[in-house]
Amino acid sequence: MRGRLDRHLTPYLFVAPFFVLFAVFGAYPLLATLWMSLHDWHLINGDGGFIGLANYSDLFADPDFWNALVNTLSLFVISTVPQLFIALGLAALLNTKLRGRTFWRAGVLVPNVVSVVAVALVFAQVFGRDFGIVNWLLGLVGLDPIDWPADVWSSHLAIAAIVTWRWTGYNALIYLAAMQAVPNDLYESARLDGASTWKAFWTVTVPMIRPTILFTTVVSTIGGLQLFAEPLLFESKGASTGTGGSDRQYQTITMYLYEKGFTLFDAGSAATIAWVLFLIVALFALINFAVVRRTVASR
Amino acid sequence: MAAGGVFARRGVRLAAGLVAGALALTGCGGGDESGGEGEKITLTVATFSDFGYEPLVKDYMAAHPNVTIKLRVTEFDQHHKQLATRLGAGAGAADIEAVEEGYLPQFRQSKDKFVNLADFGAKDLAKQWLPWKWEQSLADGGNFVMGLGTDMGGLALCYRSDLFKAAGLPVERDQVSALWTGWDEYFAVGDRFVASGSKAKWFDGVGNIYQAMMNQTPYGYFDTADAYVGDSNPAVKTAFDKVAAVANKPGMSAKLDPFSQQWNVGFKQGTFATLPCPSWMLGLIKDGSGPENAGKWDIAKIPGNGGNWGGSFLTVPKQGKHAEEAYELAKFLTSPDAEAKIFQNVGSLPSQPETLKNPAVLGFKNEYFSNAPVGEIYAKSGETLQPNYRGTRDADVRPVFGRALARVEQGKQAPADAWTQALTEAGKALGK
Amino acid sequence: MTTTTAATAVPRRRRRARPAGGRGKPLSYLLLAAVLASSVFPLYWTFVVASSDNSAIGEATPPLVPGGNLMENISRVFDSSEFSLALMNSAIVATTVAVGNVFFSALAGFAFARLRFRGRNALLVTVVATMMVPTQLGIIPLYLLTTELGWTGHLQALIVPALVSAFGVFWMRQAVDETVPTELVEAAMMDGCSLVRIFWHVALPAIRPAAAVLGLFTFMGAWNDFFWPLVVLNPENPTVQVALSVLASGYYTDYALMLTGALLGVLPVLAVFLLLARQIVGGIMAGAVKG
Repeated sequence: MRGRLDRHLTPYLFVAPFFVLFAVFGAYPLLATLWMSLHDWHLINGDGGFIGLANYSDLFADPDFWNALVNTLSLFVISTVPQLFIALGLAALLNTKLRGRTFWRAGVLVPNVVSVVAVALVFAQVFGRDFGIVNWLLGLVGLDPIDWPADVWSSHLAIAAIVTWRWTGYNALIYLAAMQAVPNDLYESARLDGASTWKAFWTVTVPMIRPTILFTTVVSTIGGLQLFAEPLLFESKGASTGTGGSDRQYQTITMYLYEKGFTLFDAGSAATIAWVLFLIVALFALINFAVVRRTVASR
Repeated sequence: MAAGGVFARRGVRLAAGLVAGALALTGCGGGDESGGEGEKITLTVATFSDFGYEPLVKDYMAAHPNVTIKLRVTEFDQHHKQLATRLGAGAGAADIEAVEEGYLPQFRQSKDKFVNLADFGAKDLAKQWLPWKWEQSLADGGNFVMGLGTDMGGLALCYRSDLFKAAGLPVERDQVSALWTGWDEYFAVGDRFVASGSKAKWFDGVGNIYQAMMNQTPYGYFDTADAYVGDSNPAVKTAFDKVAAVANKPGMSAKLDPFSQQWNVGFKQGTFATLPCPSWMLGLIKDGSGPENAGKWDIAKIPGNGGNWGGSFLTVPKQGKHAEEAYELAKFLTSPDAEAKIFQNVGSLPSQPETLKNPAVLGFKNEYFSNAPVGEIYAKSGETLQPNYRGTRDADVRPVFGRALARVEQGKQAPADAWTQALTEAGKALGK
Repeated sequence: MTTTTAATAVPRRRRRARPAGGRGKPLSYLLLAAVLASSVFPLYWTFVVASSDNSAIGEATPPLVPGGNLMENISRVFDSSEFSLALMNSAIVATTVAVGNVFFSALAGFAFARLRFRGRNALLVTVVATMMVPTQLGIIPLYLLTTELGWTGHLQALIVPALVSAFGVFWMRQAVDETVPTELVEAAMMDGCSLVRIFWHVALPAIRPAAAVLGLFTFMGAWNDFFWPLVVLNPENPTVQVALSVLASGYYTDYALMLTGALLGVLPVLAVFLLLARQIVGGIMAGAVKG
């Protein structure tokens, strides 16, 4: 009797903490946000009346929203894709017999722990127009200095560099953890079949860590579509409005939300953006599952 | 008072009840501090930079043994955004919150969340401040007093005398001031400076120049009846055109964003010769330029009229439990006596006629800026300046025009196109 | 849901795993050194500025050699903000969040991967779906909630909402699925072992490495989180990130001061990494052997 109760009840007790806490601190705010998005809601003054889907129709009619969406997708693609491939390669390197393994492994994680304040300052120096390191290097090969934040392509490139720099090591460690669980005999038989290291990597390692690749892709997609800290850091201190440059050239959806909610105090519109973003992320995650499963499986 | 709608409020309660129940089991939970009558109270003062209150607060606590005062300092933007969130949530704000002039119109829209200081007799203090500073603190046709004024930011023009000398321009501050009356002359001198072949640019960036110009107009994007006039007010168009004309002109603008890291480097490297400098900016210029540039900066008259840029107000959010005590403290911190002490401690320019005549203020010289008589320069500019009226929704519109000029400066747009786009964006921001 | 099928592709039986890519070649070291240099440079540069006086930041080419002001800057950091309190608060928050999150995630992950119960798949889909919830976007209702609870300004406002994460549950589910043999769990059940005991004695030892990785990431995330703490805490009772915003509070930013604070704020995280590194790196094989 006790055993049956244990078998039936305990699983629910195991998953209960997650669901209870999530219901209060995750689902409730989300539903409240949905409620806010149906109202004319001022950040300070609060509810200004129910307006139905007006916030949504306004948002879809707003070219700034589409601009932010395109920017987000562009930044997502040029930062996430290279980042995951580099991380995979880096993990493979770290998975070889190395002297001072811990040292190398700790090293690649450093970008993720350095305070964003320091990151902002360092990259201001790296991408500075007048005295920046990148422009200095361009000067060496005879190219004109670039005003990195000024244009769409240059600002996206610079921000993607920051994102890639910050998150590659993190993903590499996740891959590494997965690679270490790959049974060695699979490599031995691959070697007996005459496969090169390169080929073994693609025929053994990648298929074996497929769930992890799926995992990082989903997590990176979710993170990438919510990109906020890095582009905001790219704005100079005097103009931290979330606008993303003089022509919104690098404003992401989350920055747009920040601008609406905390610069213009329009919480109703901000809540609307939050919900639309949620739906976009959900859509992408589903596509992700499908695509990654198929491509990795076909290997 | 309730920040949310009925549903939202009830939802919060329900969720809160659930957690509180769960936490009672685990023995965690927040304490609720509430003091009874006549008991010891704690007042919190939240500011966004060093307002120089520390010594004053000590005096106040010594004189009022039942009052404990805590100072809370946060970064400028975060301070105001945090205040907005906390006003919206109905809790968490300090007893006294500093609000900067640029943010004040936005908060004026939410004056219900603040104590009307007139209820405690603030109107009797009106004469303490320069008339325009007092007016800025009012809402509701003068019936509502949002806050008590602290400092102000009279305008002047800072210039690098060494770069002026190398370019064959006058160096003495009086002679430099005589070079211009308006901005056209200032830009003409800029042409001379550029023609001299100096490697430095004439000014730091369009952001500061335009800001200074707009602060010299009696009103900008909104008229004093709070109607949007950004598209019809000739003062806006004139300022915009003047700045746009030089924004991308070779040698004129160093094209730096004010307050950015690159801007700081610009000071140190001497990449520009002039910039408009309200009194509070002197510290930034000094720290940015570093000891090796000591004595190279000097201060002259600003082209155009006097104007104000910056300065703050002490407000009392309604959610605090000790509104009257908070008001008393704010009154103390903004008294002429306190303002004189603050000026001597941290250099914030008083906004009160009496303090501006104080010999200690008038006679103050700044060693770093070639011993410029900053007390006199700024005190004078403060007495004669024309205040700039800022509409309630000024903050929605102002950045739009700033960004338009930045596009011209970056060479991405012609001035006329930038102006057209700005008008469209401004109209959109206002929901037109 | 698709995750379930994706994960089942992982083989159940594990042998002792060994680094697979062969010996490290000189080229590997060269590549790694390059990656490491770019990774560590900003941290090094933080140290350089933290050890200089503030004027160093304005140089056209940033200084590359440390100066002699580190001690002075450190004492200034402790003087001008509640930095020791901030360090302690951050340590409390990050440790509690990491331990709690790993524990709850492991519990749920184990249940999802190895236990059969009604509604399991539906609940798992819910977990994955909640990962897409941009939690920081519900910040205003969340703030209202913490206010109602009286938590504003207190550490539990940071701790309790972060105790669980969908990421953690998802992660631990994968880990259990890959390292805890079904046969073992079933055998233990046949023996009449309670589920709590199976979790504790069978599952937990096997997933230790994965738990260490999750713990590290959660610790880092909680330590570096700045948006929510800034909203909900006050400078009187700060975390490190809030204290940093106090250091940046002037009209003029004292970068030497700020980066000294940033440097002091990074060191504990690096210490935790080194502490957990053995678990993460060496432990993965140990765990596999036991499995």
